[in-house]
Amino acid sequence: MSDFTTTIGLEVHCQLLTQAKMFCHCSTDYIGKEPNTLVCPVCLGLPGSLPVLNQKVVELALRAALALHSQILPQCVFHRKNYFYPDLPKGYQISQYDLPIGVGGFLEFYSQGVKKRVRIRRVHIEEDAGKLIHEGVSLPPGTSGVDCNRCGIPLAEMVTEPDLSSPEEARDCLMMLRNIVCYLGVSDGNMEEGSLRCDANISLSSSSLLGVKVEVKNMNSFRAVYRALSYEVERQKKLLEEGKPIFQETRHWDEAKEITVSARGKEEAEDYRYFPDPDLLPFSIKEEMIEEIKSELLELPLEREERFMTEYELSQGEAEILVQDKEIADFFEDTLRDFDEPRMVCNWITTEVFKNLRELGATISQAKITPAHLAELLKMVAKKEISGTIAKSVLEEMFATGARAREVIARRGISFITDEKELENIARDVIERNPQSVADYLSGKEKALQFLIGQVMKETRGQADPELTRNVLIKVLSSEE
Amino acid sequence: MKIEEFRDFTIADYHHLFKEKKISPLELVNLFLERIKREEDRIHAFLFVNEEEAKSEAQKKAENPPDEFPPLWGIPIAIKDNICTRGIPTTCGSKILENFTPPYDATVIERLKKAGAIILGKTNMDEFAMGSSTENSAFGPTYNPFDRRRVPGGSSGGSAASVCSLEAPLALGSDTGGSVRQPAAFCGVVGLRPTYGRISRYGVVSFASSLDQIGPIARNVEDIITLLEVVSGKDNRDSTCAPYPPFGKSEIPAPEEIRKIKVGVPREYFPSGLEKAIGEKIQEALEKLRGEGIEIVEVSLPHTDYALESYYIVAPAEASSNLARYDGVMYGLRVEGDNLQDMYFKTRTLGFGKEVKRRIILGTYCLSSGYYDEYYLKGMKVRTLIKQDFEEVLKNCDLLITPTTPSFPFFLGKEVKDPYEMYLNDVFTIPSAMAGLPSVSLNCGYKEGLPVGLQIIGGPFEEGKLLGLALFLEKLLALPSPFPGFKEDNNE
Amino acid sequence: MKEVISLQELKRIAQLSKLEFSEEEFQGFFKDINNIAAHFEKLNELDLQDVSPTSHLSWSEPPFFSDEPRPGEGREEVLKVAPWVAGGYFVVPRIVDKEEKRNEDRRV
Repeated sequence: MSDFTTTIGLEVHCQLLTQAKMFCHCSTDYIGKEPNTLVCPVCLGLPGSLPVLNQKVVELALRAALALHSQILPQCVFHRKNYFYPDLPKGYQISQYDLPIGVGGFLEFYSQGVKKRVRIRRVHIEEDAGKLIHEGVSLPPGTSGVDCNRCGIPLAEMVTEPDLSSPEEARDCLMMLRNIVCYLGVSDGNMEEGSLRCDANISLSSSSLLGVKVEVKNMNSFRAVYRALSYEVERQKKLLEEGKPIFQETRHWDEAKEITVSARGKEEAEDYRYFPDPDLLPFSIKEEMIEEIKSELLELPLEREERFMTEYELSQGEAEILVQDKEIADFFEDTLRDFDEPRMVCNWITTEVFKNLRELGATISQAKITPAHLAELLKMVAKKEISGTIAKSVLEEMFATGARAREVIARRGISFITDEKELENIARDVIERNPQSVADYLSGKEKALQFLIGQVMKETRGQADPELTRNVLIKVLSSEE
Repeated sequence: MKIEEFRDFTIADYHHLFKEKKISPLELVNLFLERIKREEDRIHAFLFVNEEEAKSEAQKKAENPPDEFPPLWGIPIAIKDNICTRGIPTTCGSKILENFTPPYDATVIERLKKAGAIILGKTNMDEFAMGSSTENSAFGPTYNPFDRRRVPGGSSGGSAASVCSLEAPLALGSDTGGSVRQPAAFCGVVGLRPTYGRISRYGVVSFASSLDQIGPIARNVEDIITLLEVVSGKDNRDSTCAPYPPFGKSEIPAPEEIRKIKVGVPREYFPSGLEKAIGEKIQEALEKLRGEGIEIVEVSLPHTDYALESYYIVAPAEASSNLARYDGVMYGLRVEGDNLQDMYFKTRTLGFGKEVKRRIILGTYCLSSGYYDEYYLKGMKVRTLIKQDFEEVLKNCDLLITPTTPSFPFFLGKEVKDPYEMYLNDVFTIPSAMAGLPSVSLNCGYKEGLPVGLQIIGGPFEEGKLLGLALFLEKLLALPSPFPGFKEDNNE
Repeated sequence: MKEVISLQELKRIAQLSKLEFSEEEFQGFFKDINNIAAHFEKLNELDLQDVSPTSHLSWSEPPFFSDEPRPGEGREEVLKVAPWVAGGYFVVPRIVDKEEKRNEDRRV
């Protein structure tokens, strides 16, 4: 079996987080709205309508371009991409061609523990098209329906060079890209809802054969990106091994069947007849604006991840998990302000906090718990005022009610039994009631001690300090001898 | 009162009548509506007469006259049918928009209404503004009021003819390569193409976006000035509209200053193909100006000869993209088909006329992959050269004077073997349009009952100087204002 | 007549523009377009190498608008007079061609 090199490039679109659309004042809050309710003459492309650019679109796209270390071009020009489709009211899409917002950047990310860099060819802005439905209660049979609510939503398109060499890398690169745009408040990067979309170009080559570029579309999750590209690698490998040709074509990922399917239609490429849009004047991006945005650029995911690794001595894997979601990373660091034990906080967040969020179906910002609250609870655990087990259940209640740790403890009547004398009494009780276990322990069976500890815990309804209990029992038992 | 009394009126004269209570806005509107009824069989300037609304608007105004009249208060105006008027059909002279009624007003319409104007109706035009005769309208041609066998020019033929025959005192047209100036010349009225970006294009159905401009049409320069003041100025809904305040009368220099103006006459605009009588009338006008002490010099715009070709690459290219939205999906004509593609093809094939199709094909070709550099890029480069020609010349002169058209209004139905021949009608109006410069056409004389148009071209945003000279010349020439058919009216 | 554009090219352009013609009409356009395009050859007389193209006539920086949403005008009127509306959607005949769906799948 010969050695194949996989080459992958990504084309990522993300919807920009503006309140109004790219070229008109219609609201961008279109999810779940009735069709054709967030429209106006401009985004409907009515005769005589004209576009005017939303300032925020430039700011957000600039943020992304600068975060990706792109070179910002002095003049920004919009081009028209001409083609016919019902979800494109004007018969052309306002996009950018040879003078986009940014060119020549790069992105760094970790893939399977190794730091990688991929070059970013360009970042440009364009308007989104509408939505088509092909079946529905209201639709007459044999027709499709057009909803223009999404027409004119601003998109940033980021194109990488084909520097990725595996489906894993492609997925990890995409995830980092997503994190960056989320971190910057540029997009909410949600693949399921369509605010982040990814197409890929993949080719396999060997020492003797030059690769053929296949475009893969319709991958609607990170997992799908990984699976689809993995499938493609296998498919192309097989064809190469069998000496069969690979067609340069577009293929769609079929999530259900878990295969890519050829979307080969006409052989010729679509002729988009790009030309500068005469309705939108070229504009220049001022140095001051670039400097201002650069200075406002927050620490990016990779930088934060690496800082967590050095400053808090976390592993790459631990740091990566914390840094995935900016709000979680913020929560982590805010907690550290009151309780400076990074490992412990990390541990609790990635296990218990995540568990609670999952069960509640909430994000950390929606959760009723604050970093100070978590810090308080963890302090108590560290000081052994409560056991870890108890703390977990206290945390659950804190999530549910928003109450502070001490409130929950007080309400539940959990008073931590630290009184040795009291424990001794309980221990003696337990010993009396369990002579067999005592005998077992005295004859060398450690397990019996565990059982007795358990019994004390039962008696105290878990409020006894396990370690103290152990010591007390041993003390009492040894005095029994 | 009778309509012929308004033959030489300016807006100020109408307002004077209103103030003196000699006529009410409703009576005035009715007079024009009657005139339209009488003339329309002969002229066919209007596609839609806004009778009901005009009457009720006029009535409202009559009942509530203000102390100070807004600039166009009570004045009826005709609007070219490619300008969106809410609730009033806007067809662009095309079958594909035959039943289209816009749900919004163009910015210029909003401004007209705010100034108190009354929309009299929508005027006929070459389909999507593509043409120089108004014969390309899907709804029949408009006839030149001076001679019904001849064209009124285009594409704003309906607007120019309506003002000429006093069916409306004022009109708005649109000018891309000459579509206001050429019909104004053919109909003996005044037509202004302002600096590109002077007037908002929001609500004006696009033909060639980097060239389209709204143009006021009137019977005298004074009214052009008033109209320009009302409709011009910054508009946040049009990115190409310059961020300057509206034009103001104060920008017009006094006659003493006008006399100090230096006028350039580009030799390329007097080719051998120019109709002799037209050349003569222009020279007579220039003589009169010389008599007033104005310096006239010969200048050269060396790339004039390439302007037509460059225009017929750039304009159809932009048009082919601008007209892609007419696909039957959301508005306008739809011809049902077996499937989507079928619907697209049938709708557009049936909905568009021959000239429009020709330009769409031409434009698509010029933008097409493999041809972009050869055509569109070249066209844009030649445009730069044309602009530079004017910039150079305007360093040494204030204004330029040229004929507006190379020939007199030609006969209707002239079947041309080569469509390019028709395009030649715009040879004098295209270059200044390509450079985005303001230019005005006004009547400079009659020959065998037909008007001769004289064009003045100025520097960007120099409408003040431009209209100043136009006013000066108009006064100097003291020509009778157009009112063809007056004799017939008198016999009633 | 000099053939600047071939009949086959013309047919491709017509396809791109969604216009259909009878053979006779095609021949007519073929002649017209070639006649017009022949005139364009004149531009080759000029030396355009160092000339920058004018793609826009801009006298100043264009306006931007600040990111504030507003309800749009004219929505109801448009839906009322649209050729075919059902359930609030603009209705179009079925999209059969795979090639058409290809364009669509770039969007979710």
